[in-house]
Amino acid sequence: MSLDHIVSVTIGGLTVGMIYALIALGYTMVYGVLKFINFAHGEVFTIGGYVAAFTLLTLGVNDGMSAIAVAGCLLAAVVASVLVPMAIGFLVERIAYRPLRGRARIIPLLSAIGVSIVMQQSIILVFGSKPVTIPTLALSSASIVVGGIRIRVLALVIIVVSAVLMAGLTYLVKSTRIGKAMRATSQDMEAAEMMGIDTNKTIAFTFIVGSALAGIGGFLVIMYYGSLKFDAGFLYGLKAFTAAVLGGIGNIPGAVVGALVLGMTETYGVSVDLGFLAWFVVAGLVLGLYVQMVRIPRRRLQHIAEDRRTPEYERSLLNVYRLTPYHGVKTLLAERTDALLSVSAEHAVRLMAGNVFLAVVAAVMFVNANVRIDTRWQPVIAFVVLMVILMFRPSGILGEAITEKV
Amino acid sequence: MRLSEVTERVSGAAARVPRSVYAVGGLVIAIIFPLLNMAGWVETAWLRVGVISLLFVMLSLGLNIVMGETGLLNLGYIAFFAFGAYTTALLSSPKFELRWPFLVVVVLSALIAMVAGFVIGLPTLRLRGDYLAIVTLAFGEIVRLTITNLQDFTNGPNGITGIYSPRLVGEGALESLGSTGPAAWLVIDKPVEYYYLVLACVAVTAVLISNLKNSRIGRAWNALREDELAAVSAGITASRAKLLSVVLSAGIAGFAGSLFAYYSNVISPESFLFMQSVIVVCMVVLGGMGSIPGVILGAIVLQALPQVIRQAAGAARSEFEVYRMLIFGIIIVVMVIFRPEGLLPDTLWRREAHEVDPREQEKTRQSLFDLEEGEKDLEV
Amino acid sequence: MGTILELQGVSMSFGGLKAVDSLSFDVRENEIVSIIGPNGSGKTTTFNVISGLYEPDSGDILLKGESVAGLRPDQVHDKGISRTFQSLRLFSNMSVLDNVLVGMHSVTDAGLIASMLRLPKVRREEAAMRVKAREILEMFPGRFSGPRQQQPAFSLSYANRRRLEIARALASEPALLLLDEPVAGMNPMESREVMEQIKVLRDKGYTILMIEHDMHVVEGVSDRVIAMDHGVKIAEGTYTEVANDPQVVEAYLGKRAAEATA
Repeated sequence: MSLDHIVSVTIGGLTVGMIYALIALGYTMVYGVLKFINFAHGEVFTIGGYVAAFTLLTLGVNDGMSAIAVAGCLLAAVVASVLVPMAIGFLVERIAYRPLRGRARIIPLLSAIGVSIVMQQSIILVFGSKPVTIPTLALSSASIVVGGIRIRVLALVIIVVSAVLMAGLTYLVKSTRIGKAMRATSQDMEAAEMMGIDTNKTIAFTFIVGSALAGIGGFLVIMYYGSLKFDAGFLYGLKAFTAAVLGGIGNIPGAVVGALVLGMTETYGVSVDLGFLAWFVVAGLVLGLYVQMVRIPRRRLQHIAEDRRTPEYERSLLNVYRLTPYHGVKTLLAERTDALLSVSAEHAVRLMAGNVFLAVVAAVMFVNANVRIDTRWQPVIAFVVLMVILMFRPSGILGEAITEKV
Repeated sequence: MRLSEVTERVSGAAARVPRSVYAVGGLVIAIIFPLLNMAGWVETAWLRVGVISLLFVMLSLGLNIVMGETGLLNLGYIAFFAFGAYTTALLSSPKFELRWPFLVVVVLSALIAMVAGFVIGLPTLRLRGDYLAIVTLAFGEIVRLTITNLQDFTNGPNGITGIYSPRLVGEGALESLGSTGPAAWLVIDKPVEYYYLVLACVAVTAVLISNLKNSRIGRAWNALREDELAAVSAGITASRAKLLSVVLSAGIAGFAGSLFAYYSNVISPESFLFMQSVIVVCMVVLGGMGSIPGVILGAIVLQALPQVIRQAAGAARSEFEVYRMLIFGIIIVVMVIFRPEGLLPDTLWRREAHEVDPREQEKTRQSLFDLEEGEKDLEV
Repeated sequence: MGTILELQGVSMSFGGLKAVDSLSFDVRENEIVSIIGPNGSGKTTTFNVISGLYEPDSGDILLKGESVAGLRPDQVHDKGISRTFQSLRLFSNMSVLDNVLVGMHSVTDAGLIASMLRLPKVRREEAAMRVKAREILEMFPGRFSGPRQQQPAFSLSYANRRRLEIARALASEPALLLLDEPVAGMNPMESREVMEQIKVLRDKGYTILMIEHDMHVVEGVSDRVIAMDHGVKIAEGTYTEVANDPQVVEAYLGKRAAEATA
């Protein structure tokens, strides 16, 4: 495993991660405000890419043009790929989501699925079902060499542009009037309304900003890869949603963290040997053992009532976690006499099962140290991450910014 | 709201006819339909449309258990269909040179789909509705991609070909009867035979599910959907009841998948795209979540009607497919906004759909309350 | 009279806040015990711990000598504790009768296959359930008669919805009935009626633990009263004893007032 390889894989991971982040922000903002998964968001991204490509093709951009003309074409493409998605985001919210506000969770989700299909089929009707391709420009294939490592300029552009946009978004949400309205609406829509906030306008604004970011994402992807398929939004959208959940949905920094983690996982997953990947599992195992042996027992000790706080009782509680195979299982199987001990035993056994599973996975990976996961499994990685995160920690890495109300 | 008035009146009139009349009428039409083909009035192609429509009826009935009764959205439902289809294809095709008996294969296909439902349901059913929908979607995609990638086992994107026709009796018995007369009926290989086989399965499934709907278990599902906290406090084991509904619906999909594999002879991952799951969801939404006649109608309308229109318009297949999906998308949006209870609504969902605005609802309650207080005075 | 419910040093905290702090008390057979206390004193949390919605951090809960602490709500219900909620939690779109039938879920046992085939056994069980459910609804004379049983629960008046919730809880013939503010939001006439019905339930042999703010009701039906404040039991005894306890007066009215009455 050479250093060059690791650096270039890391940059690749960062690049796709940043793209995911741009899309994930739209999911997370909408979810934060409305508790609603905007399933059609991935299609907005595709439309952004298609509109950008259409603009470039219409203007007939090519390397024969002067640098200023090329820049002009690109600027036009950016503007188009922002404005069209913004308009669509606004209209869709108005037509398909607003009438359903306040209904059972799955009802607006169904509507969003319908919208996503309508958008996808409309793309086919307007642009055809063949992937759209833009002419190769000097800019898109340009690369620089740093310390013997070749890096595409566009990758750097994507990373920098996304980072700037995210900083801007953070400023918008944290420090502006409309940002404050967004936060208030997400906390309690009714209360925000009573305080004179136009929640409809705020929600529409949220959709518009999210769609604009997705549109830019579409533009960057078409520039980076040169082509885009009508159904690309499905996979990008799902991955971005995974990223949002991974970071903690509703949480803006979380979406970025989640997107980068996902981008890295995906890229590393298929670019390096299992022997190398196994170390990540080992790190997870160390964390899991720390949770089982130190963090959770410490928290449980605080649950002991004053009148029972004897050294023996504390020791038996610790033993349940630290010597789970014996004390934990024994307590679990014994007749329930003490609520705290039996609940803890159940918990400890679950934690132990998780750690054993990680250990087995790591062992299997070390045995097959030289094998590499085939790239055709790459989409599966994201789906597996999504399932695992939803099963074990639905609140994500950084936690949901807005706590769930029952 | 003229339109809604009209639909309300039509559906009101339709509701006054007993449901059994519709059931018997529908069944009679379904039974007579192939006879028209035998008489030479209808092309065999329509019989094929009929078989596929019936398979989708079965899928919709299965999905309706989780969506309509328990209120869980499953966006990867087609994966269970795939489990059934691939189990059948592997056990009854030249791929591994196996030809297990029909009944064994069908039952095993359903069982394997049920196991898959159990495995995916166990860790995910405590998730709230929208997350569950996405997890099931991810599951469906994982299954499809895995099928595509495990080329040694499933032939990847090329699929498995040459699936044998089902035989109702063992090999020896068939040979002793010769190849004509009754023996020909014991091998199902003509569209009309498939049609009646699937029709019988659909009819039985519909009856069994409708019994279940009006039983203690069906009530438990509805209670969980209405208010989970109250349901568990009333003694319903949420995890078990939900798992039961997921496993049962998976079993139905696996069963349908098995019949599909036998019928189509060839299966490939293309048949199990996410879009297929959405189509089944669309059928349930259109017909009416929780309503058995509704989902049957939904499946037939969305599967058979487009074919009729395509024939009439003489459109090319691929282009037609785009319009078909576009219309499906529009149907979902329009239905959930304007008639979320579906074409032939279930009582509970109709009530659910008509108490949208909580303030409005409180007003009705208040007026009923006042009315009741008045009544009490009369009683005294 | 045997002991039905026994709490032994039950504690429950949320973050740093001790909502219930080593609470111990018992409820004996065929007794009506009321828990009173100011808002936020931990009464509903106690109910939630008993009914299994929360796991206690420590301490034990015994139902007829058997521990139910840490069990899931449905398991607690199976053991024989059923409850109502302070904020009504009916299955609003289901019919009145179906609401009661759901309450019988745990005491009936038709399985999946049997229900699908609608075997004679299932039919008999279903018929018996309906008879029983009507009997329970008849305990509230005139309230759920005839066609009203087929109405959706949301169409009932507020008071009737409270009654229906009690009927649903009774459907499983629980060993212990937990009523969380059964007369909240009712007018004096209605609450007097509910009070009478609670007495009827005692005559039928039910054991009841209830939370109530309406002191007329507490005085009228309780055999014993437990007063809580800040998660701690501050007094226990007959209504008169508890009502005159200086600590209770202090909890409700403040220290100065308590000194004045003393």
